[in-house]
Amino acid sequence: MRNTDLEFREVAPRAGQIVLSPAAHYVVRPSQIRTLYQLSDPALSEMGLEEFLDELLLRVRDALAVDTVAILLYDEESQQLVARAAKGIEEEVEQGVRIPNGVGFAGRIAAERVAIFIADVDHADILNPILRQKGIRSLLGVPLIVEGDLIGVLHVGSLRPRVFGERDLAVLQVAAARAAPGIERARLFSALEHEHRVAILLQRSLLPKHLVDVAGLPTAARYLPASDEVGGDWYDLFELPRGRLGVAIGDVVGHGLRAAALMGQLRTALHAYALEEHGPARTLELLDRFVQAMPEQAMATAAYAVLDPDTAALRIASAGHLPPVLVGHGEARVVELPGAPPLGAFPYGSFEEREVSLGSGETVVFYTDGLVERPRVGLMESIEKFIAAVRGAASPDEICDLAVGALVPLEGGLRDDVAIVAVQHDEVPAALRLHLPADPRTLAQLRRTLRRWLHKLGVDRRTASEITLAVNEACANAIQHAYSPAPAEFDVHASASDGEVMIEVSDTGRWRSPRGQNRGRGLTIIDASMDEVSIESAETGTRVVMRRGIRR
Amino acid sequence: VRLADVQYADEDSAVIARLSGEIDMSNADSIRDAITDTTPNHALMLIVDLTDVDYLDSAGIQLLFRLEEDLRSRGQKLSIVIPAGSPANDSLTLAGVSRHVHTHETLDEARREQ
Repeated sequence: MRNTDLEFREVAPRAGQIVLSPAAHYVVRPSQIRTLYQLSDPALSEMGLEEFLDELLLRVRDALAVDTVAILLYDEESQQLVARAAKGIEEEVEQGVRIPNGVGFAGRIAAERVAIFIADVDHADILNPILRQKGIRSLLGVPLIVEGDLIGVLHVGSLRPRVFGERDLAVLQVAAARAAPGIERARLFSALEHEHRVAILLQRSLLPKHLVDVAGLPTAARYLPASDEVGGDWYDLFELPRGRLGVAIGDVVGHGLRAAALMGQLRTALHAYALEEHGPARTLELLDRFVQAMPEQAMATAAYAVLDPDTAALRIASAGHLPPVLVGHGEARVVELPGAPPLGAFPYGSFEEREVSLGSGETVVFYTDGLVERPRVGLMESIEKFIAAVRGAASPDEICDLAVGALVPLEGGLRDDVAIVAVQHDEVPAALRLHLPADPRTLAQLRRTLRRWLHKLGVDRRTASEITLAVNEACANAIQHAYSPAPAEFDVHASASDGEVMIEVSDTGRWRSPRGQNRGRGLTIIDASMDEVSIESAETGTRVVMRRGIRR
Repeated sequence: VRLADVQYADEDSAVIARLSGEIDMSNADSIRDAITDTTPNHALMLIVDLTDVDYLDSAGIQLLFRLEEDLRSRGQKLSIVIPAGSPANDSLTLAGVSRHVHTHETLDEARREQ
């Protein structure tokens, strides 16, 4: 036992208080302190602060045969002692009793770092009303000190008047000296745990809540946090102008709150640059410049790809990130990308782009190293395992499930977080049958679907844009017919045969003669763009059938 | 993502509104309002540049005519830039209004006409 932690000085007693002299030379009975010695057991400190304090108080109460025992911890920010745990006077904690440093029984123990004994509460300046209310007669308290820093006060009380002797003081000091480092460790542990929780919360709030239905493509993503520390993995999926889709993934070097916050910044910056339509390589160059400009040194790997659903062209750039995998038709393969440094690694990083064409139904999968990096297993071996696991998958969701199932250990938790994001270039059907809301905002989506369908048929660009223009005008008419207050819908059917496409737009509204020049121009456009146009109008609705020969 | 974007530039007596993206019945009215509001009264001319427009339907064409009326009532002139072979030019041709809309091939050509 080290009493040098306690500094004893001659202090003038205040009303009812007795300042006790050092107790070092008093021998404490082994039976009395055996349990107290165990308070510095490292295992205790890992149980978390609440549990640790609970255990400590029970042991002190038993060792001293007292009615109450309480711990107040010193809050540096407010310079107050805050009741943190108690046995016998739990109200003290429940009511969040706060004692200013330097005042009253506990305040003076803390400020002056002395042990204080109060024989009769009635004759002492006790600040804490609960002690009086509970009928406590006598009190004994000692400061809790760790490496010269005061961390709190431990005090015991008796319902009957009791003279706490120097032997009692010695026991309480043993408890205090043994417990203080444990409290500090547990406090630190709790703080870390708290940071971990905050980091997880931050990480989750920064990742997309749900994947937006971008361009109507099937997508899936997973994020699995590491078991002990949050990492800086992220993924993103967003719509770009002209109906294209942006897919991003990245991994910030480091762990914890800072990595999670940095991840949020990079994800946002990448999205912002991507919206400027710089393309994958330039977007990563700008992101690299952003990372270089950060006041603190930061580093991250990232990959960014743009998919044009009309043409199935996927342009990919990588900054030191693991190569994506293409899955489809029972096969899976790694997409080799030109080597490039991580973001923030070199002052003037430059990145190259690669274009791959996604086959119908093919899925591109991006992932972070947490999925494939395992101790004592080669990276290529892990990637092979990944490929073998997902090659038979039919959908992005299934790919994510199979990858997690094959590579994420069931027990022991993850050492690093894992992010996966998958986008499928789905099959274009031979014929289109669309049932759409009569809302002008559906027109853009309809045009995209139609362009993809015409592209698949091999229709040349010019013919395709004329057909698209005509169908758009017919649909705009259908939307204008829907003047009833109830939500209205219309249908678009498109099929191809014998070198021509036939597209039918039907609604349940009455045909109205074109109002003004605007709608008249719409009809002119339809007529000029298609070879054959027929408009059937009846009470039940209007049907516009359009045909156009296509050269393949 | 916005279907279309407008970028403005102020040049002496002309305001240039450069449109990009797709213009249809979902956004034509708000684009017209935005351009009309942004063009100050002291500008003599508004140049609407449709070079980067990928798609223009009858609502978009209507927007050009309305814009012309708006400006005329304020004593301002509208000048339209549509290069040959651009999607906007194809739309004007198919709608049969090419002859009624005075257009310029390039922004420089439109500026010179001031």
